[in-house]
Amino acid sequence: MNVASYAKDIWQVMSSTFEGLSITLSHLVRRPMTIQYPDKIPVPVQETLPHRYRGILEVDLDICTGCLACERDCPISCITIGIDMNKETKVRQFTHFDIDVCKCMYCGLCSEACPTGAIRHSQEFEGASYNPAGLVRHFAPQPQNLYKPKKGGETDPKLVAKVDIGQKYLDEFATPDGGAAAADES
Amino acid sequence: MSETAPAHGFYTEEDMTISVGPQHPSTHGVLRFVVKTDGEVISEAIPDVGYLHRSIEKIGEKVTYHGYVPYTDRADYLAAMFANQAFCMAAEKLAGTPVTRRGEFCRVIACELNRIASHLISVGTFGQDIGAMTPFVHALRERETINNLMEEICGARLTYNYIRIGGVGYDILPETCAKIGAFLDHFEPIVDEFNRLLSGNKIFIERLAGVAVISKEDALSYNLVGPNLRGSGVKWDIRRDIPYSIYPELEFEVPVGTAQVGVLGDSYDRYWVRIREMQESCKILRQCLQRMPQGPAISKVPKKFRPPAGECYARVEAPRGDMGFYVVSDGSEYPYRVRIRTGSYTAMSIIDKISKGIMLADLIALIGSLDVDAPEIDR
Amino acid sequence: MQHYLDQLMRDGAFAGVPKEVVYAAAMVLAAFVVLSVFVAPLAGVTSWLERRVWARMQSRVGPNRVGPQGILQWLADGIKNLLKEDLIPADADSKLFSFAPYVVFMGFLCTFVVIPFGANLIVADLNIGILYILAVTSLVVVGILMAGWASNNKWSLLGGMRSAAQIVSYEIPAGLAILTIIFLAGTMSMQGIIKAQGWAPWDWFLFRNPFTFGAFFLYFTAALAEGNRTPFDIPEAESELVAGYVTEYSGMRFLFFFFAEWGNLYVIGAVATTLFLGGWQVPPLPVFENSPVLLAIAQFVTFFIKAYLWVFVAMWVRATLPRVRVDQLMALCWKYMVPLAFTCLLGTIALMFVPADGQHIITAITFGFALATAINFFRRVVYQVRNAKPELYFKPQI
Repeated sequence: MNVASYAKDIWQVMSSTFEGLSITLSHLVRRPMTIQYPDKIPVPVQETLPHRYRGILEVDLDICTGCLACERDCPISCITIGIDMNKETKVRQFTHFDIDVCKCMYCGLCSEACPTGAIRHSQEFEGASYNPAGLVRHFAPQPQNLYKPKKGGETDPKLVAKVDIGQKYLDEFATPDGGAAAADES
Repeated sequence: MSETAPAHGFYTEEDMTISVGPQHPSTHGVLRFVVKTDGEVISEAIPDVGYLHRSIEKIGEKVTYHGYVPYTDRADYLAAMFANQAFCMAAEKLAGTPVTRRGEFCRVIACELNRIASHLISVGTFGQDIGAMTPFVHALRERETINNLMEEICGARLTYNYIRIGGVGYDILPETCAKIGAFLDHFEPIVDEFNRLLSGNKIFIERLAGVAVISKEDALSYNLVGPNLRGSGVKWDIRRDIPYSIYPELEFEVPVGTAQVGVLGDSYDRYWVRIREMQESCKILRQCLQRMPQGPAISKVPKKFRPPAGECYARVEAPRGDMGFYVVSDGSEYPYRVRIRTGSYTAMSIIDKISKGIMLADLIALIGSLDVDAPEIDR
Repeated sequence: MQHYLDQLMRDGAFAGVPKEVVYAAAMVLAAFVVLSVFVAPLAGVTSWLERRVWARMQSRVGPNRVGPQGILQWLADGIKNLLKEDLIPADADSKLFSFAPYVVFMGFLCTFVVIPFGANLIVADLNIGILYILAVTSLVVVGILMAGWASNNKWSLLGGMRSAAQIVSYEIPAGLAILTIIFLAGTMSMQGIIKAQGWAPWDWFLFRNPFTFGAFFLYFTAALAEGNRTPFDIPEAESELVAGYVTEYSGMRFLFFFFAEWGNLYVIGAVATTLFLGGWQVPPLPVFENSPVLLAIAQFVTFFIKAYLWVFVAMWVRATLPRVRVDQLMALCWKYMVPLAFTCLLGTIALMFVPADGQHIITAITFGFALATAINFFRRVVYQVRNAKPELYFKPQI
């Protein structure tokens, strides 16, 4: 090596170090990008999540028709539904509706398959539990009748709001044209 | 293995066998290398893969086509969109399903954002392996913004299930497009700052210039793809040479290694190709945002998707190279066989050849510059 | 300190106890006080500050929960490590394994004997002060080799051997840079070197002539290499050797090594301040004439701030630069730093023959050049901040 390349090496080390040091010092005076969850933030994180966030599944059993479309479409078989004929009332009822939250892939295929929007993704993401049994969500703790959608809209006042919420969810996320109708709305 | 160990009178010399991994901070996932070294110079480095095998290909035989798309996310979770797209392209070719034009644009936007995110991790962790810890966190900070954008588009941050057969699952709304534009304005100066902090640093250059050189012939004969191949000077990009989607209509360059600081095909060339690809992706994104047509985001596809019997191979240019899905259908609603071809798996084969005679620190530079990704290798 | 003890013995305290025992007991007490009141919290707070400084340079917030702004984080870490299981690997040499951290610790603690905190605040003003520091810091090599060998782990062995080569090689440029200052000051005693400088920046040895300016950077780089700090932290290169020679250590033994490393940063800063930055010299204000206590406090604070500035710079450099490879490290030492150190030494000696006026002119030119570089640097920092887009704006929010 000759003197020129030796001096060039030394100069390059010093100048690139100078540049690097100036960049890191400039970051020292900039605002950090950290969100100090969960206590030093103005609103809970769940409210800041975008509208389409696919969190933990929730089921509104009052509007579930028992069509088993979600159980069929789930690629990982995390939904288990049991339907039985009640001997006294001769009405079909849910015996159990379990979702294994730790198996769920949060892919959204079940919510797109549902005809009434009963099964939906919520904005919840904090699913930690101290025992594995807590990770299976039981949505039918007691036997419950299936829902029969009425032609011409729902009339029962208790169920109107629920049906609307379900329908709104479906319009956004499960229309065949992929939400373009929702895009026009918003 | 046992050649006679050289004897110097009373003492004999032999190499020590070290296991790099599977628990190691810089093997990019669960990988193991059995390395024979004399303390510093390596004589042999044999990769030992399979720690992250999850039978994704076998699962493909048990779920429907629509249900398999979330599984393809997990084939390489850093570049999930590309696996989605390759599988959907294969299924569409089998069944002859058209893709809507707006769907194609949404696909390209999502894929290029994912490419930037994947390259950010790649160059960030590469810097971390070489010792510079700050650029890694800066790269991850930018990736957080991309994750937020993906969350707005499709609801998930890492495993998207966004690209579906016939188009995309959700439309990209105009305010999200505005946010993507704002992100690009913010991001391009950040890449320049990253270059000033890391790429221009003399110590970084000295660590990588001329280290682990892969010649053009070696790269082609060992079947390297993606930035590894382009870093050795071969101009091959699936988006240009076997075009798919709307890439023929977009203007972008394909960066190739140019022996900027050392020898053609050294680690710095492969790293520099990734930095340039991030900048090219920004260009592609801007063009797509300008030219987005109106229309439906997905075409009508039956719920029970039953393509006719046949086979199909679809390839996309993923961040780690050429990702190909070979799907065989027997006419039922479950695929008969799904085979995934990934770039990292073939990159493992060249590690033993190149690592003869380099030092332990250079092996880490080699693995980082090849951007191997354990989930892709083991599927 | 000996005066006070003699005074106390003449006044009748310690009746019946032989003189040597009193001296020995007083020395042990003094060592204990210095260690627990100054060195231990210093090393601990340095570890907290390091994490905060790195975090802010990486756009994140460091530890800020334990105590106000997280300043007691080191206590929490210390207690956690004390409560951990004390593992010694089965086939390891357990006596050497246990003893190695203490050897490293000794090598670092012995330097505090000659660190001059103020004009009268020094434990012992040895007349070979700086040579004593150089000698004693070499003890850590023995400790590191012991740790690497006794762990019965190939990674640790590699780390220990690399570290020994590194530390021993970098003693040469460090010693030559120090020799430059010894020539200028004419004495090896720490207080003597400080007294040969003045309180004003242009009276410091740093700006005396361009060769001492170069010698400072050579000393600082060599000291970083001796302290196993990035860009020379190959022995603990996390991404290559897992953790180098400390791989098998856990709990308090592990913490001892890092305690020594963080404390060593302060020693590097203290030596740099003594040799190049004028030490504890304060401007001769009239308020100091009247109150020696105030003077002592002012000198202590000045010395501490100057020394701690270099601790901050070491953390800053670690956050910025990548690691050099081991053969490049050796090449850097022998091919670049040793010839440059010799040049600085010979240049300084040659300039000592220039008449005093000429020396003042050279000092003024060096000072001006350094000032211009510093101003240029801060202008560059402002450029970096402006170049970032609005989300990352100027006001820091902790």
